[in-house]
Amino acid sequence: MWERNLQDLIRGLRASKKDESKFIAKAMDEIRQEVRTKDMELKAAAVLKLTYLEMMGYDMSWASFYVVEVMSSPRFHLKSMGYLAAAQSFEQDTDVLMLTTNLLKKDLTAATPSDVAVALNGLSQIVTPDLGRDMTPTLIAMLNHSRANIRKRAVLAFYKVVLKYPEALELGFSRLKEKLEDPDPGVLCATVNVFCELSRQNPRDYLSLAPQLFHIMTTSSNNWMLIKIIKLFGVLCPHEPRLVKKLLPPITDLISTTPAISLLYECVHTCIIGGMLEGASGYSLAKTCVTKLAAFLEDSDQNLKYIALLALVKIVPSHPHLLAEYESRILTSIDDQDLSIRMRALDLISAMVNRDNLQSIVQQLLSHLAMPDSSLGTTVTAAQSLQSAPGRTTTAKNPMSPTQSTSYRTTLASRILQIASADVYANVTDFEWYLSVLFDLAYVAKAPVGPAIRDQLVDVSIRVPQVRRYAVSLSVKLLGDDTFIDNGRADDDVDGSGCQEVLWAGALLCGEFCEHITDVRKVLAALLQPPATNLSPEIISVYLQSAAKIFSHWAADCASHWVEDLLPDVKELVEFMVVGVTPLTASSDIEVQERAANILQLFGFIRADLAAHRPKPAPQYVNGFADPSTAAFDPAAPDAEPLFPKSMYLLHPLFKAYALNPVAPEAQASIPIPEGLDLDAWIVPQARSVADGGADDESDIKGKKKEKRDKKGKGKEKAGGSKNGKPKASEDAAGPSEDRRAVEAELARVRTYHPSAIVESLTSFQLKAKRLEEMRDDPYYIFDDRLKRNDFVDIDSIPVVRLDGLPPLSQDGDSPHRVSTPPSISRPRTPQPQYTIIRDGEMPTSSTAATTPPASTETTPSLLRKVTSDRPVAPPALSSFPPYDADVDVPRTSTPDPIKVTRVKKATGKKKRTKDVTPAEL
Amino acid sequence: MIHSVLIFNTSGVPRLTKFYTPLRSESQPLIRKIFSLISPRPASLCNFLDAPELQSFLGSKIGEEVRVVYRNYATLYFVFVVDGAESELGILDLIQVFVESLDRAFENVCELDLVFHFDDVHHILGELIQGGLVLETNVDEISEAVQTSQQTRKESFMTANPLALGVGAGGPRSSTLQTPLGWLTNKLTGVGAR
Repeated sequence: MWERNLQDLIRGLRASKKDESKFIAKAMDEIRQEVRTKDMELKAAAVLKLTYLEMMGYDMSWASFYVVEVMSSPRFHLKSMGYLAAAQSFEQDTDVLMLTTNLLKKDLTAATPSDVAVALNGLSQIVTPDLGRDMTPTLIAMLNHSRANIRKRAVLAFYKVVLKYPEALELGFSRLKEKLEDPDPGVLCATVNVFCELSRQNPRDYLSLAPQLFHIMTTSSNNWMLIKIIKLFGVLCPHEPRLVKKLLPPITDLISTTPAISLLYECVHTCIIGGMLEGASGYSLAKTCVTKLAAFLEDSDQNLKYIALLALVKIVPSHPHLLAEYESRILTSIDDQDLSIRMRALDLISAMVNRDNLQSIVQQLLSHLAMPDSSLGTTVTAAQSLQSAPGRTTTAKNPMSPTQSTSYRTTLASRILQIASADVYANVTDFEWYLSVLFDLAYVAKAPVGPAIRDQLVDVSIRVPQVRRYAVSLSVKLLGDDTFIDNGRADDDVDGSGCQEVLWAGALLCGEFCEHITDVRKVLAALLQPPATNLSPEIISVYLQSAAKIFSHWAADCASHWVEDLLPDVKELVEFMVVGVTPLTASSDIEVQERAANILQLFGFIRADLAAHRPKPAPQYVNGFADPSTAAFDPAAPDAEPLFPKSMYLLHPLFKAYALNPVAPEAQASIPIPEGLDLDAWIVPQARSVADGGADDESDIKGKKKEKRDKKGKGKEKAGGSKNGKPKASEDAAGPSEDRRAVEAELARVRTYHPSAIVESLTSFQLKAKRLEEMRDDPYYIFDDRLKRNDFVDIDSIPVVRLDGLPPLSQDGDSPHRVSTPPSISRPRTPQPQYTIIRDGEMPTSSTAATTPPASTETTPSLLRKVTSDRPVAPPALSSFPPYDADVDVPRTSTPDPIKVTRVKKATGKKKRTKDVTPAEL
Repeated sequence: MIHSVLIFNTSGVPRLTKFYTPLRSESQPLIRKIFSLISPRPASLCNFLDAPELQSFLGSKIGEEVRVVYRNYATLYFVFVVDGAESELGILDLIQVFVESLDRAFENVCELDLVFHFDDVHHILGELIQGGLVLETNVDEISEAVQTSQQTRKESFMTANPLALGVGAGGPRSSTLQTPLGWLTNKLTGVGAR
C-alpha cells in the first residue's frame, strides 16, 4: 500500500490548485484511515499532514487523541512531530490534555536533552491550570538543570506556567531570582525577559530586584538584555521615585554613547514613561530626548519616524513647549504616504492641540478628507512591488488606497470632532468657524460619522447662544441642498457614510431657533417637499416638528403686527403646510404618522379659524373660542377681542414654553426625591401575585376579573371627564404646567369637533376587551396576568412636579427668548467675537436647598467649577427659568400606586391616541 | 510578549502560523486581514502596520494595544504580532535573526523550503522563541541548537527506518529552487545593527 507523506500532500495540493477542496477532502479521508493504524510512522505522518492542513484553516481537533499517541512515542523524530501537532492544535479545553500529565513529567525528566527541550517547548504552548499545578515542582527543580540550554527553556516555561497557575510564582520566586546571577548569559537574558513580563502586571512586587537589575545593566553589553532591563525599569520607576535618581546617570550615559538605535530608543522611551523628565534636573534630559526623537523624524528610515512619533505622544503632556518647534515637521507627517505613520502623527497632533493651532490643524485634516489622495497612487505601488518582487504583478492591483478607506476616513473625521470638542470646546475660539467645519465635515467625510456631527452641531448651537443665527443660516443652506440629500439616500448608503443625520440636526436647529430664519417659506418647502419626504423616518419626524415650530413662530410674529393684508399669506401658508403634511399621515413609520396626524389636526383647526375670520373684530365665533382662557393668548388687551385670528397663537406656546438649555450631567441626580417616595419599595407587591397563583383556578380567574373591573372602574372615576377632558395628559405627565394645561384644554376642544374619532377608538377598546375575555377562557392561550393588571395609566398617581412662578402666558411674546427681532447679542459678525460657552449646563435650583441629596454641590465635578471660575460664563440657568418646586398639591400616599403601562391603541380612522378610556365605560 | 508569528507569501497563502496566545476568533480571517493591509504597502514604507481597523481585530484577543511588525523578504512576509513588552526595533532585528537562521539551516532558503519543510521551520522557530518569549537571539547559538536537534531527529529516523534514504527530516531539497532569500538577508541592514 502506498501512503502519501507530507511532501506528497503538499505536491498534490500544489498540483490540484483548481480543485483544492476535492483534493483535501480526499486527503482528509486518507488521514482518518491512517491515524487509526498501529504503525507509528504512518500515524505520525498523518498527524503531520493534518498539522499542515490546520495551518490552511482546516479543523484537526477531532484528532487530538492521536496527537497524544504520537507525542508518547519513544522515538524522538515522532515525538517532536507529536509535540508540534499538539502545540498547533490543542486549546485550553482540549479534553485529552489531562492524559498528557504523566507523559510530560516523563519527558521533562528524560535523560536526553533534546526530549526535555521539546517537552518544555510543548509545555509552554499547551499548559493549562491543571497541568501547571502538576508540573510546578518539576519545573522549579529544572531551573537548576545542569545544562544552560535547558535552564533557559525552563525559565521561560515557568513563566507560562505562572500565567495559568499563579501559585507557582510563590513557590519558585526565590529560585527564579537566583537565575539573575546565572553564569550563562542566555539564562540571564531569559530571566530578565520573564521578570520584564511579570512586572508589567504587578510592578510593586519586583521593586526589590532593582539592585540586581541595576548591576546587570551597568555590567552587561548584550543589547537584547539591556533593552529588556531598560523596559523593566520603565515599568518600575513610577512606583519608586528613588530609582529615577539612581538611573539617571547610566541612562543618560547610554543615550549619548550607544551605537544601537533600538537601545537608544528604549532609553529615551523609558525616560519618558518612567517620569525621569520631571523637575529641573529632568529638563535637560527631556530636551535631549526630544532632540534625539526629532532627529528620528528627519531620518530617511520610515521605521524611526514611526517610533519617534510613538514616543513623542508620551512626552507631550509634560513638555508641550519642547515640541512646539517641531510642530511643522510633525504636521507634514500627517501627509506621509505611509498610513501607519499618519495614524501615529494623528495621535501626536491630537495631543498637541491648543487654542492657537487648533484651526490650522483642523483645516489640514479636513483637506485630507476633501482631497482625493494622490500621494499613494497605484502607480507608485505597482512600481514598488514590481521592484521588490520580480515576476509578480497581481498584487499591484490596488483599487482603493488604504488612506481612502472608510475606516481611515472615519478615524480622521472622528478625530477632528474629538480634538475640537475636548474639554467642552476649550480650544475653540471661533465657534462660527467650528460650525462651518462641522457642516463641511458632513459633506466631505464620506464616513459614518453622521451621528457624531449631529450631536456636536446641536451641542454647540445650544451651548453658544451667539452662534445660533449662523447655525440656522448654515442649516437652512444644508436643508435646501438636494444633492446632499440625494448623495446619502438610504438605498445606496448602507454604512451611513452620507451623514444624513446632519439633516436631523439642521432641522432641529431651524425649528428651535426659528427666530433667525429669514425666508420661512423656503425652509418650510425644504422640510415638507420631496426629496425631504424620502428621508429616514427619524429625520422626517424632526422635520415635521420643526416645520410646525417655524410656522408657529412665523404666525405669532405675524399676529404681533397684524394687518388684514397678511390674511391671504397666512392662509396660503396654512394650505401649504396642510398639503405638505397630509401625505405623511400615511407614512408607514408610526412616529412620523402620529406627528403628521397631530399637526394636521392642529392646522385643520387653524384653517377653520382663518376661514371664520372677519376683518372687523366681532364676537361671532361659533366655536366657543371666546373662552376666557384663550384670551390669555392675546398680549395686547386681555379683555377686548384681538384684531388677528386667535389661532395664530395656537401653536406658539406648544413649542416655545421653555428655552432649550444645556443641562448639567448631574442635574437629574440632583433633583431631590419627593417626600414619601420610597424608591426601594416594590411597585407591584410580590406577595399578592404569589397568593393569587396559589388560589383555585376558577376562583382565581374570577377574582382577577373582578380586580380588573375594579381597576377599570377606578380609572374611569379618576379620569373623570376624560372623554372630553384631557386625553393627551398622560403623554407628558412628568410636568404639566400652566400653559400646558391651557394647551390641553385647547386640544380637548379641537377634539370635540371630531367626536367620531373617540367613538371609534372606544369601539376598538370594546373589541379588545371582548377579545381578552375570549382568550381568558382559551386554555391554549397563555398570557401574563400581572402584565394585564398594569394596563392603564393612573395619571393622578404619577408624582408630578409643579412649576411655580412661570411668567404669565400673555408675556410670551415679549420674553427675550421669543422676540422676532434679532436678540441684541447677535450683532453683525466681528473678526473675533466673544463667545460665551455654557459649559456646565443647567441645574435644578431646588437641589441645593433640598435636604434629601446630602451634598448636591459637591457632586459637581471640580473641573466644572474650575472652568466656571476662570472664564466669563453666562449664568447657568436663565433667569426666566423658574426653580423646580417639590410638588405640594398632588395628593400622594406613602407608597405610590402601582405604575401601569398604557397599551396604546391606535384608532384606524383618525390616528389619534385615546387614553384613559376603558372598556368598562361602555 | 510575542503573540503570534506568521509567515505568508505575497499571494496571502500561509506558510507558517504560530499563535502563542489563543485566538478568540478564527485565525484565517486574521491572516487575511493582515495580508490585505500589508500587501498594498510599498517597500519604502515603515515596517509597522498600523491601521484603524486592525486594533479591533487584534484587540479582541488581548486587552492592551498590540503592534504588528513585519518584514518582506522576496516572496515572503514575516509578520510578528507583539505587545508593549517588546521593543519595536528589537522585533525587527529578531525577524532578521529568524531569517538568517532559516538561511543557515536550509542554505539559501527560499519559499519552497518553507513549504516542504514546514515542520523544520517550526523547530527552528522553537529555538528562537518559546511560548511567546524570546529564547535566543544569537544566530550561531540558534543554528547550533537547530543542527543538534535535526541530527537527533535524523538518527532517530534512521534507526526506525534503516532502509530509508533520508526521506524524513531534513530530506533532499527540491531542485526547482526559486530566488533564494539569502542574497537579500545580506543586503538588508538591520535597523539596530546590533
